[in-house]
Amino acid sequence: MKTLDIKISDLTNPEYKSILDRAEKRIEEAILLGAVTEQSPNNDIEIPSFPIAVMMAAATADSFIKRRYALAEAKRISNLLGNENKSNITYIANNFNWKIKPVKDPAVSLAYDFTLHYTDFLKNATVFHDKKWKLINRRMLKGEVYLTKSEAARLLEEEVRKHIEGKLDIKVESLPEAVMNRINRLKQLFIEKRGEIQLEELPKEVIVNAYPPCIKELYDTIASGRNVSHIGRFALTSFLINIGMTTKNVVNLFSSVSDFNERLTRYQVEHIAGERGSRTKYIPPRCDTLRTHGVCHSMDDTCRRVRHPLAYYRRKLRAIRRKTPVEKIEKLRA
Amino acid sequence: MITNCNVVLGGIRIPFSLPHFVREKFAEYYHKHSSDIQPPSTIEKREFGFILLKERVMVRHKGFKNVKDLGSFLKMIVPSDVYYSSAYYERPEEKMEEKGWMGADLIFDIDADHIPTPCEKDHDKWVCKKCGAVGRGVTPRKCPGCGEQKFDEKTWPCEVCLGSAKTETMKLVDFLMRDFGFSSEEMEVSFSGHRGYHVCVESGEVQALDQMARKEIVDYVIGIGLEPRFHGLGERSEKKSRILTGPDLNDSGWSGRIAKGTYEFLLSATPEELQQIGLRKKTADTLIKHRETLLESWKGKGPWGIIKDVGVESWKKIAQHGVEKQSAKIDTVVTTDIHRLLRLSNTLHGKTGLRKVMVPITGIEHFDPFKSAVAFKEGTVSVTAADAPQFRLGDETYGPYQEETIELPTAAALLLLCKGRAKMVE
Ligand code: SF4
Ligand SMILES: [Zn+2]
Ligand SMILES: [Zn+2]
Repeated sequence: MKTLDIKISDLTNPEYKSILDRAEKRIEEAILLGAVTEQSPNNDIEIPSFPIAVMMAAATADSFIKRRYALAEAKRISNLLGNENKSNITYIANNFNWKIKPVKDPAVSLAYDFTLHYTDFLKNATVFHDKKWKLINRRMLKGEVYLTKSEAARLLEEEVRKHIEGKLDIKVESLPEAVMNRINRLKQLFIEKRGEIQLEELPKEVIVNAYPPCIKELYDTIASGRNVSHIGRFALTSFLINIGMTTKNVVNLFSSVSDFNERLTRYQVEHIAGERGSRTKYIPPRCDTLRTHGVCHSMDDTCRRVRHPLAYYRRKLRAIRRKTPVEKIEKLRA
Repeated sequence: MITNCNVVLGGIRIPFSLPHFVREKFAEYYHKHSSDIQPPSTIEKREFGFILLKERVMVRHKGFKNVKDLGSFLKMIVPSDVYYSSAYYERPEEKMEEKGWMGADLIFDIDADHIPTPCEKDHDKWVCKKCGAVGRGVTPRKCPGCGEQKFDEKTWPCEVCLGSAKTETMKLVDFLMRDFGFSSEEMEVSFSGHRGYHVCVESGEVQALDQMARKEIVDYVIGIGLEPRFHGLGERSEKKSRILTGPDLNDSGWSGRIAKGTYEFLLSATPEELQQIGLRKKTADTLIKHRETLLESWKGKGPWGIIKDVGVESWKKIAQHGVEKQSAKIDTVVTTDIHRLLRLSNTLHGKTGLRKVMVPITGIEHFDPFKSAVAFKEGTVSVTAADAPQFRLGDETYGPYQEETIELPTAAALLLLCKGRAKMVE
């Protein structure tokens, strides 16, 4: 992102405390949830907290933490771009100094949302293999490549992923003690949670009992052949993909819906799973977003302790695992 | 430009030594014109290379602070050829790995060697270095006599061949200006002094492009990987029937070029030509029968789908042929090489004694390489020509010559001497 003029020695100033808090929180969430879910409402905190978090993650010099953090941030951006909001795309693209413009001509805007300078296009599109990403197959006029918003979002995800990965490779020189303490705290947290995290990252069976109420309702609706809203579909699909369900099984689930179109459904599911073009998976929207869109129903106790459906699932999963052996023992006794 | 075929083990293969007269003339040129040398921008970041006229060796990894130093150096060493790097380096004089690549101009080479022409049989010859087998036209990959791959090539800067190279250059410039949006100030078009044209884009925005990105630009210009469906050629269903649509002549970019290529092909295609691109005889005949209707159709939505018996697959083949005609035949290796050396403007070409000269972008069509590139305008000299096709320099036409001694103006004599087609009279 834009280089922020922050001197390392400034980090100890009291006004940086909330920024450092937020930066630490980003990494903490990445370690615990594999995602950065929250956002500070204050841009003066949110914006500088990102480069500082990147620097802190780099300073851990731990390749596990770095990779987990890079993925979590890339996912966050994907998610932000997931709803393909034009101003979000422009906002992030501007941070990377992209030469991007919204299409104004009403006749052209039926088909395209943006024009992007071919140099920015080529920087990111050459890793994609689909023929539609070849420059020769694009509409290009005076160096401007025409893009839909989802294409712009895809290119931007690639830019973000590359950017974060590149930044995390930088060797960080000595940091003030206060910052080092935070970094050590994060490393400690990672060591404590390491067992769980590696367990989580293993492919695992899908535990239906651990679904949060919102997902359970969406799942049941779809399974009974009824339709759900677009955001509902997105939430369900991204949730199932993230807990390890295969795209094939997700597509099968949708097959009972009356207007099922296999080709389109597979495309959408693979897109959300990150199997098409960009390599980042989408994560489901946060609870408050789902609430806004009327997807959150019949919250239970666990709901009140989480802000994200995936966090619900992990929490519930742990609880179930903790219980299982006891039940087994009881069964044996009986 | 230094092309792969004459780079041998990091050196330049130099076919024969040049007579003293050539050395004299080249020395004279650099003494008179060292101040006219047009340096590349940011001269201090460029690597320079030279072929020494006398020793016939390549000297490279040279750097210069300014054009004056470069000029004095040229006067001192008298090279047969002068090159500079399209790349910018932090330390141009270091070894390749230590130079510190900072970026490179975007360069294109259009060489008659890459464009098949009807006349190459008449003026190009090759001789196998091993068995001495001789042939005309394009050099084969392997000698048909002994299988060896080393040849002495005798090409010729022919007017017809250079005419085709010029056509390709104009197509390329059209791509660069209309599709890529480069201004004429950012581009430099030049005649190489031998068999081709160079286009160099010096613009901040292209310098950082990596090889992958440059390859995409090459593919764009030579028409590789184009899928007509992305340019509007295809079928879609509308109210239960399928409608075939395609691009319009007024479309921009490749869409318009596909339309233009299709239009031009159908304007004159014979049934045989249509079958050559893979159409069935029946389809070809149908197209010919409806030629008038097809040409008229461009006033409306184009010829796509107006003849029931010609389907989308046939139209794709026709479009593909149009793509080939509209593409610009550049040397793909040169553009993707981000460390390339290229000939410096206003220096002499060792194979012709002609200058590399800039071509005004607005006047490419009327540019006459055999007039503009002539470097020596005074004096005459007697040479014995072994075998030379007819050629023109300025307004004079010379030859063809076959084993004869003639007195020629300096420039014409130099051309024959440098091409190895004549010797000085003892
Ligand atoms: S609180 Fe979150 S996880 Fe629970 S039902 Fe609502 S949206 Fe779903
Ligand atoms: Zn041979
Ligand atoms: Zn010719």
